[in-house]
Amino acid sequence: MKISKEKFGQSFDALAADYQMIAPVNDSGAVNFKAAKSFSDVKLDYLNSKLPPKSLLFPQHETLLSYKKEGKDVIVKNELNVGKTIFFGIRPCDAKSMLLLDKVFKNDMFTDPYYYERRNNTTIIGVACNKIAPNCFCSSLGLSPASSEGSDIFLVDLGDSYQIEAVTEKGKDLLAKIQGLEELSSADQAVVDTVKSAKTASEVDVAVITSKLDSMFNHSYWDSLGEKCLGCNACTFSCPTCHCFDISEEYRKNEGSRVRTWDSCMAPLFTLHGSGHNPRNNQNARWRQRLMHKFNYFVHNNGDMACVGCGRCIKSCPVNLDIRQAIDGVNKAELVVE
Amino acid sequence: MSNIIDDIRETARQLLADGKVDVVIGYEKGSLPLKATPCFVRSPQDITKLIWDETCENNLAAYVKKTPGKKAIIAKGCDSRALVVLLQENQLVREDLYIIGVSCQGVIDKKKVEAVTGEIISASITDGKISAQGMNGDKEFTFDELKDATCQTCRYPNPIIEDIHIGGTVDAAQQAVAFEDVIEMENKSIQERQVYFREQMSKCIRCYACRNACPMCYCQECFVDSNAPKWLTGGVDPAENLMFQAGRALHLAGRCVDCGACSRACPQNVDIRALGRKLAKDCLEMYQHESGINVDVKPALNEYSTEDPEAFLVKE
Amino acid sequence: MIMGESQENLNQSETNVFNPKIAAFLCNWCSYAGADLAGVGRIQYPPTIRTIRVPCSGRINPLYILKAMANGADGVLVSGCHPGDCHYISGNYVARRKFALIQSLLKHVGLEEGRVNFSWVSAAEGGRFAEVVKGTTERVAALGPNNGVFKVADRRATDE
Repeated sequence: MKISKEKFGQSFDALAADYQMIAPVNDSGAVNFKAAKSFSDVKLDYLNSKLPPKSLLFPQHETLLSYKKEGKDVIVKNELNVGKTIFFGIRPCDAKSMLLLDKVFKNDMFTDPYYYERRNNTTIIGVACNKIAPNCFCSSLGLSPASSEGSDIFLVDLGDSYQIEAVTEKGKDLLAKIQGLEELSSADQAVVDTVKSAKTASEVDVAVITSKLDSMFNHSYWDSLGEKCLGCNACTFSCPTCHCFDISEEYRKNEGSRVRTWDSCMAPLFTLHGSGHNPRNNQNARWRQRLMHKFNYFVHNNGDMACVGCGRCIKSCPVNLDIRQAIDGVNKAELVVE
Repeated sequence: MSNIIDDIRETARQLLADGKVDVVIGYEKGSLPLKATPCFVRSPQDITKLIWDETCENNLAAYVKKTPGKKAIIAKGCDSRALVVLLQENQLVREDLYIIGVSCQGVIDKKKVEAVTGEIISASITDGKISAQGMNGDKEFTFDELKDATCQTCRYPNPIIEDIHIGGTVDAAQQAVAFEDVIEMENKSIQERQVYFREQMSKCIRCYACRNACPMCYCQECFVDSNAPKWLTGGVDPAENLMFQAGRALHLAGRCVDCGACSRACPQNVDIRALGRKLAKDCLEMYQHESGINVDVKPALNEYSTEDPEAFLVKE
Repeated sequence: MIMGESQENLNQSETNVFNPKIAAFLCNWCSYAGADLAGVGRIQYPPTIRTIRVPCSGRINPLYILKAMANGADGVLVSGCHPGDCHYISGNYVARRKFALIQSLLKHVGLEEGRVNFSWVSAAEGGRFAEVVKGTTERVAALGPNNGVFKVADRRATDE
């Protein structure tokens, strides 16, 4: 099916009455996913957002509960007001990243109510990438610039219209509320086919990385990796799949709150013990942890790699430490046979 | 440029071959167009990795303290000023450090290219012209068009201290008014300044790339990481971000060498230099102090004069 | 604690008048003694300051001032010995440079003039201490409650 952008915009504006609409908008000179009241606010010619949309489901700083002492009682408040939300314009890499975050925050063993509430109330309208940025490498990770995995509704930009299809049941329900669908012409189908056959120019080989990392914990390769890393959190904070957090108490006098804040394995504080001992006491070990978590531990625990190839970490790194080169380095590293 | 890099490589090779240093800290070609990346050369065979051009933007002085052993460092004017401050503060052993000084024309601000061409696919630099192929089109730039904001106001393009100098020297750019950017901000109304800094701080994601890229930020425990007292929560509220940035700027007052590494490291384009530049201007006006230009003096806040101005006091 | 509670009640009873809360960092040897002298001499001044005694004005970390603002203090008063009178010879000379830069930077980023106040008050200047607190209170009261650039949204600040 297809829908003209004009008609889609009208449906977008109509849906805004019932849903909170999140879309790529201009945000102090960059494009980021933020609330958009009308389709006219949405930036349509964007490569991808500067920051990943993960903060919409898993905020950087979130109050889990607050408490107050009144007399001899302690009153605990847990306010989580989540309305129905639509994320529009999510790129395939970020849509996939949400499936990966699901594995962490809502699985058979644990369900994180904060994440789960938001996730359950969210419908994702993904949009294929017509333009592929030079740092993108999603094709190497089982995705493509037009893969609909993770989206509920998936769009392909056809110029003045979109090819539109529902991917999930949730998507079908939402699609029923969108007016003005037409049949796709054969010329349109040709455009869709071109977009869907595209691959990223940049590629990395992740075929053997998981099994190779199994025996690389004590490898000398790591010594070369941490040296120029500054140890900032730019890569992990701009990663759509990084999900480590810290929980702390913030209190004053008789009231306070328990908050969850993003944490980063790139920082020494991540593993610092109360005693002052730091078991992961250098940047090499921290880099090992980052690669291991993404390409080994996560695969063993959740059956998938925790990288979607969006390339944001490459762009945001102040010293141009490139995860593609780090992966290549693992591939080239010689295993010591014991 | 080409003979400069030949001389750098030859110097580095000699130093490594003679065993005078264990490592040479320089730049190699990065994985992104118009981007160099820091590089640690430990064997004479690897010296061909070293490059020198307008993309060598990182301040390598940030690595000197944490790299063990005897090291040589390729230092631009600002890098050498950072080394001077580190030496003033007894953070470095001068004997373990060999400074390969190179005069600097300035570095490229990649964001200026991206503003025109979109994401850069490829780029090349020939004879001072930078041609970039981007996703939204191609364009050829002159170097002056792309010069980083820091380099436009650079007063010390030539290294302050060095063990060997490579290439010619560069004349500091003539500025009609020093600190023009700061004066422009000072002349704005308080509301305009509030709005400006609020917008800047709302972009900050507290990744601490600025702090970690800064050669002067070497505290064992940064105040932002301190648990007791807990100065900051992990929140990314603009007020807290401003407290972080202002707290950091005040800690760098009289020490900041205005190399711009913080602003270039920032993935969110926060105007971090606006704070440091203001304090640099104040230090110059009130205490006639410029940081990192003389190993034998102390940083401005480690010293005092009985005649220091007191305009900041209440009038009672 | 008892002091704090009684002052809170005081504030509640005068709902129409804005009584600013001012964090006052006073050096042990001069300004704190000056405040003491004002008290002994029964010199009246507004009950707006919450005194934090520090060993020397040189001990004051810029973060004290920023954190006071973040935690919602409506104003800050910092006071030490007159230059030349420092118990530790040069503590306030060093502090003077620091204070000048703090004041300048805070103004630059848009903090209202008068929120943060610096002064020198000796142990003999009880009357002047009262004047300084009065002046500071007037300035801060005129500015109104702290909703400024450093105030962190409610329930977010800590006083650990």
